[in-house]
Amino acid sequence: MKRIIRATLAILALALASPALAHPHVFVVVNSEIIFDAQGRISGISQSWTFDDMYSSFVTTGASEDGKPVTREKLQPLAEQNVSDLAEFSYFTIVKVPGQKIEFAKPQAISMREDDKKLVTLTFTLPLKNPVKADKAFTLQVYDPTYFVSFDFAKDGVAMKGAPSGCSLSMSQPKPLDNSEAQRFNEAFFSGLSPGADFGIKLASRATVACP
Amino acid sequence: MKRLAFVLVALALLAPDVFAQARNPFSVGISEGGGAATGLTGWILAQQQHFDVLMREAVRAIRTDASAFWSLVGLAFAYGVFHAAGPGHGKAVLAAYLVANERALKRGLVMAALAALLQALVAIALVLGLTTLLGLTARHLRDAAQWVEIASYAAIALVGVALVWRKGKAFLGEWRSKPQVASRFICDAGDDPAHVHGPNCGHVHMPDPAALGGGAFDWRGAAGTVIAAGLRPCSGAILVLVFAAAQGIVLAGVAATFAMAVGTALTTGAIAAASVYAKAQASRFATLRTQGAARLLSGLEFVAALAVLLLGVGLLMGA
Repeated sequence: MKRIIRATLAILALALASPALAHPHVFVVVNSEIIFDAQGRISGISQSWTFDDMYSSFVTTGASEDGKPVTREKLQPLAEQNVSDLAEFSYFTIVKVPGQKIEFAKPQAISMREDDKKLVTLTFTLPLKNPVKADKAFTLQVYDPTYFVSFDFAKDGVAMKGAPSGCSLSMSQPKPLDNSEAQRFNEAFFSGLSPGADFGIKLASRATVACP
Repeated sequence: MKRLAFVLVALALLAPDVFAQARNPFSVGISEGGGAATGLTGWILAQQQHFDVLMREAVRAIRTDASAFWSLVGLAFAYGVFHAAGPGHGKAVLAAYLVANERALKRGLVMAALAALLQALVAIALVLGLTTLLGLTARHLRDAAQWVEIASYAAIALVGVALVWRKGKAFLGEWRSKPQVASRFICDAGDDPAHVHGPNCGHVHMPDPAALGGGAFDWRGAAGTVIAAGLRPCSGAILVLVFAAAQGIVLAGVAATFAMAVGTALTTGAIAAASVYAKAQASRFATLRTQGAARLLSGLEFVAALAVLLLGVGLLMGA
């Protein structure tokens, strides 16, 4: 009896310990611009996402001719497709203002290009349905909660465009997973409790805009 | 007990996977599960990530350093071992099928190996066939991969239909069967009234082999299960192949894909062995069954078969 229990538990452990499994297959370096309107309100976010070389080669496969970078025209259908698919994931772009629900309008200025290092960059602008004042902290994060895509801001990867004077931008980095965290995973496994880790969110940096 | 083990294994393996179905905008056409990385998974995830990064580096290095080829093959193998350790519905169906039907460890291992080989061949056929031979683009590749994925879901649903059919018959048979002598078990040597076995006599009360499909080797069920488990390629293999092709070292990509399959076969083989072992262990205690328990377990087994069917149908509808 003990042996069945052990065999069954071994299999159960394999299964139950694993809610849904993804590790990043796609790595994106993010450059975001926070756009202000004439009244000094934040009116949109402009995104520029550069893919890693492996995913870039997937994007351009079969499309490149005689080794030259693929033209924007050829990449346009894929760019449009990507951005329309992104809607369901709220563009992996999470903006928050205390006490307000922020919604995006239809994305604009969608394009995709391949540079001479064969890296592909997707750009698009997300207008806010209702522009917001940034006198309370306005935060921006870019992440994929499923962690299939790993997003990282480039160095100085967030900028403000047309910001009124006195507005400040600061970045906060998540702490990298350390040994104690790994330890916690271990203990959580054996006690059957989830530490509630969500990698995509856990590893996402946060940009905070504060205006007077 | 055997049946209870089947039910537990099948339900446990199937349940977590149902929630992993959103297709990422940047997928290569295959839905990879997503969500919280907890427990053992967190560790498996970290290992995969580790080998994935090294594998990419090896592909980049091969053009200038031919010895990187062997690192790539080794890394791809390790990646396969860890990638397969996650819960895939393919594996779930394989395990469920084995616990339900298979008594031979060797066959279980062969099925796991064939499923892994099929997975590699599909990835290679998709990438080389569509992009290298036909010159199609990423969007076509994505669409084709999606269709392959849908076909794999259909295969799961079909295996589910077959299981429901058989388990349904077995369930009805169990329900209609006459009550047995409660605490005593009369064996083949029935003419001798003195020959009566106690509960520990070592005789195994097997369910009707025909109802379980366990008489002759059910090659159609086995083939269907291999297809259901192996048809869907993994994103990692597709990406490595495309990347290698873009670097002009497509054969290295093919070698890496097969190495990944060997690693995958090792892990799924272990799961297959555990399934067959769990069943063998459970069978030894089957003599303790009473008819009420038999009916209950038969019903639960039917429910588990239904779960395989519902998984297939659910995946199809979500696709």
